[in-house]
Amino acid sequence: MNGSPAIRVRGLRKEYGGKPAVDGVDLEVPRGSFFGFLGPNGAGKTTTIRMLTGLIPTTSGTIEILGYRLPDQELEIKRRVGLVPDESLLFDRLAGAEFLEFVGRMYGLDRGTAIERARDLLQVFELPLERKMIGEYSKGMRKRVAMAASLIHHPELFLMDEPFEGVDAVGARMMKDILIDQVKHGATIFLTSHVLEVVERLCDHVAIIDKGKIVASARLEELRAAGESLEDAFVRVVGAERQPERLEWL
Amino acid sequence: MIGAILRAQWRSMRWGRGSGLAVVAAIAWYGIWTAMAIGAGFFCASAALADIRSALPLGILAVCAYWQLVPILSATMGSSLDMRKLLVYPVPHGRLFLVEVLLRITTALEMLLVVVASGIGLLSNASIGGLSEAPRLLAAGALFIAFNLLLSSGLRSVLERLLSKRRVREVLALVVALLWVLPRFLMALEYKPKGLMRFGGALQAVGLPWTAMADILAPSGSHPEVWAWISIFGWACLALWFGRSQFERNLRYDAIAAQSTPIAAARPRTSIIERFYALPSILWRDPLAAIVEKELRSMARTPRFRMVFIMGFTFGLVVWFPMIARGHGRATHSPYFLVIVCVYALSMLGQVSFFNSFGFDRSAAGFYFAAPQPISKTLLGKNIAAMIYIFLEVFILCGVTAALQLTDGWTDILRTLLALAVCSLYLVGIGNVSSVRFPRALTPERVAQGGSSRSLNGLMFLLYPLSLAPVALAYLAEFALDSEIAFAVVMLIAAAVGAIVYRQCMQSAVATASTDREAILQELSRGDGPVVSG
Repeated sequence: MNGSPAIRVRGLRKEYGGKPAVDGVDLEVPRGSFFGFLGPNGAGKTTTIRMLTGLIPTTSGTIEILGYRLPDQELEIKRRVGLVPDESLLFDRLAGAEFLEFVGRMYGLDRGTAIERARDLLQVFELPLERKMIGEYSKGMRKRVAMAASLIHHPELFLMDEPFEGVDAVGARMMKDILIDQVKHGATIFLTSHVLEVVERLCDHVAIIDKGKIVASARLEELRAAGESLEDAFVRVVGAERQPERLEWL
Repeated sequence: MIGAILRAQWRSMRWGRGSGLAVVAAIAWYGIWTAMAIGAGFFCASAALADIRSALPLGILAVCAYWQLVPILSATMGSSLDMRKLLVYPVPHGRLFLVEVLLRITTALEMLLVVVASGIGLLSNASIGGLSEAPRLLAAGALFIAFNLLLSSGLRSVLERLLSKRRVREVLALVVALLWVLPRFLMALEYKPKGLMRFGGALQAVGLPWTAMADILAPSGSHPEVWAWISIFGWACLALWFGRSQFERNLRYDAIAAQSTPIAAARPRTSIIERFYALPSILWRDPLAAIVEKELRSMARTPRFRMVFIMGFTFGLVVWFPMIARGHGRATHSPYFLVIVCVYALSMLGQVSFFNSFGFDRSAAGFYFAAPQPISKTLLGKNIAAMIYIFLEVFILCGVTAALQLTDGWTDILRTLLALAVCSLYLVGIGNVSSVRFPRALTPERVAQGGSSRSLNGLMFLLYPLSLAPVALAYLAEFALDSEIAFAVVMLIAAAVGAIVYRQCMQSAVATASTDREAILQELSRGDGPVVSG
């Protein structure tokens, strides 16, 4: 299992009403990499990540995560993955500490360890220690608690959909430092983001998806042409260099 | 503007799977009311003038009471505008109010049927004056309907505000329950307070909406008819003022702030409530214990659940007691009182727990599909948590009925607990299937929102009698054969069948959750349109 890539996807396809949202995606994410998964709005990023997490079934194709096949070895995969989804899977009627403890126990930690780790994570992520319900958290705080929850069982692979969206600069810096530290310790991170500067600074591998197909997948430095920023490369690859249409009435 | 709102609502309405069941249930429900309306119509068409004169005030009072009280009692106050989505647009408040008032029709459509059928009946009654009286009757009917809609709108606004306040909603539920039930409770006890006759007389006083309407529809000649017109017009104006002013107050009201949790330090693990939450860890291992504990915490903090929990026993006790009390002069009771009250509480709490297990989780239900646990564990954990609260409620009911000497002692209580446990097997089993087949996203803060989907309501309309039948058979066997052994044997068989039903339902629910998880999560993530369904 250790020799296999963190994620290996072959011919992944997802259709809605006969129309493909993800159209034959092939992808390989090396272990220990910080992998950025980019694409314009509606390109199929979230659908892909939801298929990788087993939240939605595939129409066709194979998914192998950490050497285990989805969906046959679904539970084995889930035990080893930390998830930060686009719409946080947070229970609004629990306090932050209660939620983290619950997640820890769901991932197999004993109650005492889960409580202890929850307390540590609350402090690291600067989350309220008092009995404030998650439903009353700001968007940034919700992202923080979601990321804290993804860490509690010390996973080998992180699947993150826009993890820094809505997080302030201080919080984002702190979260990035934690993620870099995780990669240094052997974890793999697969994230989507619209903030290309973030991807440019963090990721060593990048794949770009457009209209459900992978249009580029390479090491970051290989993707950028000489002197080019990631934004330039992204625009070039997805072919979005067009003038906006003028509306007469506007 | 109204057209745009209705069109947006139409587009965002859910016509998913199971809609057929909802249609069947709606046909059955409104079929019954249509039959009743036709009955009322025939009475109005054929009765003698004297009979109409004596029956009309009472009938109109009943319509008013139903229109205003039933939505409160059922804790589902119908559809309403979602102001959070609409206030950003430059729409005059008056127009929004108009839509809101029209939406009040949804809370008591059955009363509209009764009113229209009765009106047609009156028009065809020669003693009332026939078709020549149509303009007069139509005008009075329109005023009466407007009065009810406006009053209903005002009451809804007031209740929405009150029920959104922490603690107030629980106290209010108790007060409403007591107000509703106290007179009937006293009647069952054959207690006649001195002022009762005066109160009864006051209800028939000239100038009240129902007496005024009766005077217009079937003039007795004892008062000038113009006073009745002034009266009903005045009441409608008063209701307009009430409804409009309360609507405006609601627009300025910040429900989120009212519901926010006061900042408090985390409770010590040794506190009573924390020990209660930790109870599952003693009885089960993780992840089941973690799921049960999470559910216990979440449910206790959900305003909608708390409200129904309180209603379950207050309404249960006070509504059912007068209905089945059989005493003359003292509060003797039916031997089935406790079990009926407990089954009522079970069905009430079922609406906000096991019939729609993922409703309050909304999109967070996805966590259960992403977590490394089989979904059967999640459903089982949710079932156990629901049963803990249901049995907590039942213990309260047993305590209260025992204190009021409304039970036949321990045997009655034990039989009730047994009957409830067997009923639960069937209902919770069906609930697991419905939770994955007809999931519906619920807003925990909206205490007036119904618990389950329309499709599920349709399903329950058909399955509820079936699921209670085995336990009813046990009581029937005991009654028919006058034998407790017969009761025990039938109950044992019912329990065995219930266990099989529960197991089969669980397997079916797990299979559905596996194949339909995407559709389930999509349904639970779905937002409402500009109109929030009740």
